[in-house]
Amino acid sequence: MIRLRAVFEKKGRARYISHLDLNRCIQRIFRRSGLPIWYTEGFNPHPYFSFALALSLGFESCCEVLDFNLNEDMPLDEVRSRLNAVMPDGMSIASVAPQNKKITAIEKAEYVVELSSEAPDKLADAFGALMASEKILIEKKTKKGIKLVDLKPSVELISTERAGDAFRITLMLPAGTQTNFNPTLLLEALKNSSETEFEMVKIVRTRILCENNEFFS
Amino acid sequence: MLRDKIEKHLLSVQKPSRYIGGEAGSIVKDASNIDVRFAFCFPDTYDIGMSHLGMKILYSLINERENYWCERVFAPAEDFENIMRENDIPLYGLESLEAITNFDFIGFTMQYELSYTNVLNMLDLANIPIFASERGNKLGQIVCAGGPCVCNPEPLADFFDLFILGEGEEVNLELMDLYNEHKKAGSTRDEFLRAAARIEGVYVPKFYTFKYKEDGTILQLDVEDGVPKTVRKRIIKDFDNVYYPDNFVVPFTEIVHDRASVEVLRGCIRGCRFCQAGFIYRPFREKTADTIAEQTRALCENTGYDEVSLASLSTSDHSEIGDMLTKLLDYTEGNRINMSLPSLRVDNFSEELLEKIKRVRKSGLTFAAEAGTQRLRNVINKNVSEEELMNTCRIAFEGGYSSVKLYFMMGLPTETDEDIIGIADLAQRVVDLYYSIENRPKGRGVQVSISTATFVPKPFTPFEFEPQDTREEIERKQKLLVDSIKTKKIRASWHDPDVSLLEAVLAKGDRRLCRVIYTAWKKGCKFDSWGEYYRFDKWLEAFDECGVSTGFYANRRFEYDEILPWDHLDYYVSKEFFIRENKTARSAQTTPNCRLKCSACGVTKCIGGKCFDKT
Repeated sequence: MIRLRAVFEKKGRARYISHLDLNRCIQRIFRRSGLPIWYTEGFNPHPYFSFALALSLGFESCCEVLDFNLNEDMPLDEVRSRLNAVMPDGMSIASVAPQNKKITAIEKAEYVVELSSEAPDKLADAFGALMASEKILIEKKTKKGIKLVDLKPSVELISTERAGDAFRITLMLPAGTQTNFNPTLLLEALKNSSETEFEMVKIVRTRILCENNEFFS
Repeated sequence: MLRDKIEKHLLSVQKPSRYIGGEAGSIVKDASNIDVRFAFCFPDTYDIGMSHLGMKILYSLINERENYWCERVFAPAEDFENIMRENDIPLYGLESLEAITNFDFIGFTMQYELSYTNVLNMLDLANIPIFASERGNKLGQIVCAGGPCVCNPEPLADFFDLFILGEGEEVNLELMDLYNEHKKAGSTRDEFLRAAARIEGVYVPKFYTFKYKEDGTILQLDVEDGVPKTVRKRIIKDFDNVYYPDNFVVPFTEIVHDRASVEVLRGCIRGCRFCQAGFIYRPFREKTADTIAEQTRALCENTGYDEVSLASLSTSDHSEIGDMLTKLLDYTEGNRINMSLPSLRVDNFSEELLEKIKRVRKSGLTFAAEAGTQRLRNVINKNVSEEELMNTCRIAFEGGYSSVKLYFMMGLPTETDEDIIGIADLAQRVVDLYYSIENRPKGRGVQVSISTATFVPKPFTPFEFEPQDTREEIERKQKLLVDSIKTKKIRASWHDPDVSLLEAVLAKGDRRLCRVIYTAWKKGCKFDSWGEYYRFDKWLEAFDECGVSTGFYANRRFEYDEILPWDHLDYYVSKEFFIRENKTARSAQTTPNCRLKCSACGVTKCIGGKCFDKT
């Protein structure tokens, strides 16, 4: 059994594939590719797939991670090209490599959040004020119920950018098996903190990182 | 761009992947290279429409032609429809994400009567005039329909420019070729429609005018010069070599039938007298076991599905069923593919066949017994004896099954209370049989489910003349059935009789129904086949306002010599045959299946020979 890890993009029309549907979609992609996919050996054998992180419906990503196993060793480029030949619109495999780190090593994810507003200057100011505040409190739904959390210590702002009526924020948030913060939480806080109206244009996950900002691979 | 407008709202609706296309297998072309664009519309939601095999066949067939482009269009669910209307998003094709308003063909497949209001709603969402008469004389877009319901298209006649009768694999392309010529020549709509009416299988309703008698029945049909007096359906003669797609659009979201599907045969040899499909899809034709195996392999490889089902009216009537299953199981089992076999008949359910089926499915068994007594089964020509049913149940129980589902109809012609009590008695004997078997499944009780549908008389069947039971009578019979069941091991369920009434009216209706459908839609009726949307009160208001009686169509016996709304349409099976069969039914006599003996239904004239060598 050969353990492999694919990094794939999910953009455009493919961003409307829900996480549940993605599993079925990936199974069919592998069947179409004809690759010698490894099946579990239990009572109900099924191909083994594992996603490092779930991606919210509607988000784009250029760095989704999928673990899978093959029965035979084969050139990684061939694995990649055979998969890319049968991908739906908006999905493609960037790389296929052996599994290096454990999935539990994931600590953070980077997102580019694009907003649009009729008053982009005001929006930029409002965002600046929000980030400068001592606490960013927001209600977060957890398995145990609604909890008031402070986002402030968790948000790592990388940059902001203005272009026309667009306002783009690049930031890092905790991700992985322990804590996960969805960037929409910050947008909610922004909405609560200011009267400036804005629309979410898109959110792209751009990187998945481990300790010391090392790339997850 | 329309796409941006759509995407802006997609995250606020349920299952957004239904509205954005992009699935593997979907075909995107460059619109600037296209001569004729076809919007294939299914008048229900994506989840249902995407399961429809006919759409998959015709979609791929049209798209094989480089200069034609077929796109899929479904009815939006209510949440997205509201957004579309609020934000001026017109109905669009899933491939180009462009409004279908200016496509050349707006083609609907009419699979069930209760989808009629959805057609009007979709035309409205597409900004296309609802009535054909309001579409002007520019060639423009042709609104057309095919599918089983168009064997009586009259209740829809005012909304469509033309109907396509029978199988579409050849005629659809002929029609598109003709349109292409007329488009290039700058023809008017009327010029095109007159030429189209001369293609076999094409019915242009505006050239046909009905006159009615005072009692409401049809006096005569006036046909304009230059168009055929009767319109014949199209059939594919060489079924083994007919086009079949080697790929399907593979949806992201789960749909009703989410699997590869291979058509193994068309038509049916059985001649059950209530069954429209059994007559309108004649003659019986089958693909060879090799073709079926090859098409299964191609579809599974190209779609990535790990489940395949065999599609037909009665798969076990395939002449090479054993050979076929052996070939298929070799492939499917070797490639971790599940096979499902719907449409199996009770009488030829051998032990060997069951062995093969047991390898492929674990779910429950269902049998369509249709009637509770042998007499009534003879009336409807469901040639299944109780002995055969019991025998099959025995095999199934011994093979480890402990639940059986039995399908029945209620309100069948000549039905008496004895026949209703017979349903409960039959189910009881299946329960008793289970406990009489020594090697029955250990420690498990038996569960027999009875599902009863209300009989709906349909055009092009021997029962096309028959009245439907009134709602009161059906309710009385349902109560009688429940009172006749003595054990909790038998569970009964049934369909809403109000729904069946509307089905009967729309199935047997004439052109006067168009107004009623329009009025009902205006009152908000849509998705009538969905229990939560069905508004019978609104329908009754619509009938009332249009001065149309439901009883005239549903509960009245149509006379043999009456002009029926579908008499000018020729599905090869003759009216004389239906009258003969109706009389045979009344004397509780059966008619043997086509393989045993030809009963001269009339279909042989389309193939110029016998359906089967031996008959």
